[in-house]
Amino acid sequence: MANVVQANSDAQSSPAPVAAQQRVAKPSRSGGFLRLVARRLLLIPISMFFVITFSYFLVEMMPGDPALAIAGTTASEREVTIIRQQLGLDRPFDERYASFIAGVVQGDFGISFFDGQSVRESIFRFLPASLELMVLSLSLAALIGISIGAMAGYFRRRAPDSIARIGITALQAVPEFLIGLLLIFTVFYLWRLAPPPVGRLGLSDSYPDPVTRFLFIDLIIAGDWDGLVSALHRALLPVLTLAIGTAAYFAKVSRTTIGAAMESRQVQFARACGLSEFMVLRYALLQARTPILTYAAILIGTLVGGASIIETMFAWQGLGQWGLASIIALDVPAIQGFIIATGLFSMLVYLALDLLVAALDPRVTHE
Amino acid sequence: MSSLALSRPGIVRRNLGLWLGLAIVFGLLLAGFFLPLPYDPIKPDANAVLEPPSAAHWFGTDNLGFDVFSRVIAAAQRDLPLALGGALVAALIGVPLGLATTLKNRASNLIMRGLDAFQAFPLLVLAIALVTLTGNRLEMVVLAIIVIQTPRFVRLIRAEGLAIRESRFIEAAEAMGASPARILFVHLLPNVSGVVMVQLSIAAANALTVVAALSFLGIGVSPPTPSWGVMIQGGARLMTSGEWWVSLFPGLAVFLAVMSLNLIADELDIIFERSSR
Repeated sequence: MANVVQANSDAQSSPAPVAAQQRVAKPSRSGGFLRLVARRLLLIPISMFFVITFSYFLVEMMPGDPALAIAGTTASEREVTIIRQQLGLDRPFDERYASFIAGVVQGDFGISFFDGQSVRESIFRFLPASLELMVLSLSLAALIGISIGAMAGYFRRRAPDSIARIGITALQAVPEFLIGLLLIFTVFYLWRLAPPPVGRLGLSDSYPDPVTRFLFIDLIIAGDWDGLVSALHRALLPVLTLAIGTAAYFAKVSRTTIGAAMESRQVQFARACGLSEFMVLRYALLQARTPILTYAAILIGTLVGGASIIETMFAWQGLGQWGLASIIALDVPAIQGFIIATGLFSMLVYLALDLLVAALDPRVTHE
Repeated sequence: MSSLALSRPGIVRRNLGLWLGLAIVFGLLLAGFFLPLPYDPIKPDANAVLEPPSAAHWFGTDNLGFDVFSRVIAAAQRDLPLALGGALVAALIGVPLGLATTLKNRASNLIMRGLDAFQAFPLLVLAIALVTLTGNRLEMVVLAIIVIQTPRFVRLIRAEGLAIRESRFIEAAEAMGASPARILFVHLLPNVSGVVMVQLSIAAANALTVVAALSFLGIGVSPPTPSWGVMIQGGARLMTSGEWWVSLFPGLAVFLAVMSLNLIADELDIIFERSSR
């Protein structure tokens, strides 16, 4: 929840990192869209340089001897020396920094200190599970949230609106991990409607061949329908947890924007034309499209990697769980890889958002 | 008409939500420091393990025999000052920085670019990495909150400030030869104070969930000291065996405090909107 809370308040203070640069201006000339794509693509390497540098300095910030902290108190002198070499602490600073950047640019994030696996391999291994969780929970959250928000916005300042507003405010104050625990207690312990939170498949199920590494898709490819049912059943609680937490944000933004749209001239005109109330609401929803998309993009950007607590709670085996475990174990190459991967992912999501918004709304141009 | 509704009679009734929120937050804070507790929050009773809520133990006891009620109250001593303090320092840094970025020069562009890149991360994960890598100390939790919250103040104040800078009175001040610093702090700052106060309570609410999440993961905590997140974590496994009270009550405390801070923000927002019209 906390991640999402942050995403939300970022959105409150400034709709999106990039949306802030949008200006409503005269209709774009032909070719403007391509220029926008080019400009935004050029920005990515610059931003990534910040991200990479930041991930590097995180380790530089470690007080004392990082090698000692990582190896722990039981390590032998030899182990500490090996870690020191891996970190490059025996070399001068500028040389270390340059070789780090060179490695990252070539897609080499190094080898994990703990499982000896290539960090890049691990990222690709764990990312699909996070994407599956994110897609399922955000779809559900958008469905619930936008429905509630649209209803509240339509009945602005009347009973359904007040109830929705209080519900949204209350829901936003519940930490996401608490939602997860309460669901475990009620749905699993009291009602026995969900399996225990111990992983994506049960003991009697076997994992399919990793063709796409997306578990649901691999199960379908393998034709293991019992396995698929079991996996979906086990996905119920984590998906519900994240969906309930994020639905509040969808509801909040759609309530505000649809509420405002319902009072706009456009809606007045639609009503004056004698359109049905359903069509009127559709036009109001179209006006609210951009802010809702912006929210969705922020949530997508933060949920991959940001759902680490929920992934860990339900043993989901995603990127967030791996990243969190790496951080707590002080696995430096893995932490750096995790930060760079999640940073790059969010940037690509924001890029997609900008292009989508520009494609949908001809009034938007980018300076 | 006064600029704030606060100076008028009937104030408590008019801004009920604001006073309710303030009462809960400061009530929790004061209770944490001064309320006499029924049991020692850092001494477990081995004869009372996992007792459900009763007259003797209002919120029950946990798996080590700690009294949950005493610990929930005592935890306010640690968690609330961390969140409120972190948010306050973030405002003290972020507001001047945000005002400075309204001067459209190269440095302010650079600051904004840096913030853009920064925002690409899942910020909670960033906080976790920051605290863990720097040796898991309590001060670092405050630093993590500052790191997360400061950019928000910068962005918000910049957005507000840029709008106000277009006003005539700024133009007049510039024409009279006022220095940039004078314009920022004498003319702009008073006009963004409402926004700052609203954002301060939003930031405190956010910071509290970050504090709870960090201590839920056992980051930045020292074991016997009670903290809501640690207590929720302590009861997490017990949820699958039905002992709900160990996690629920500290969870309710977090919920109550965050909800109150959000309520304060909402009410302040309405008050300042009203007074600016």
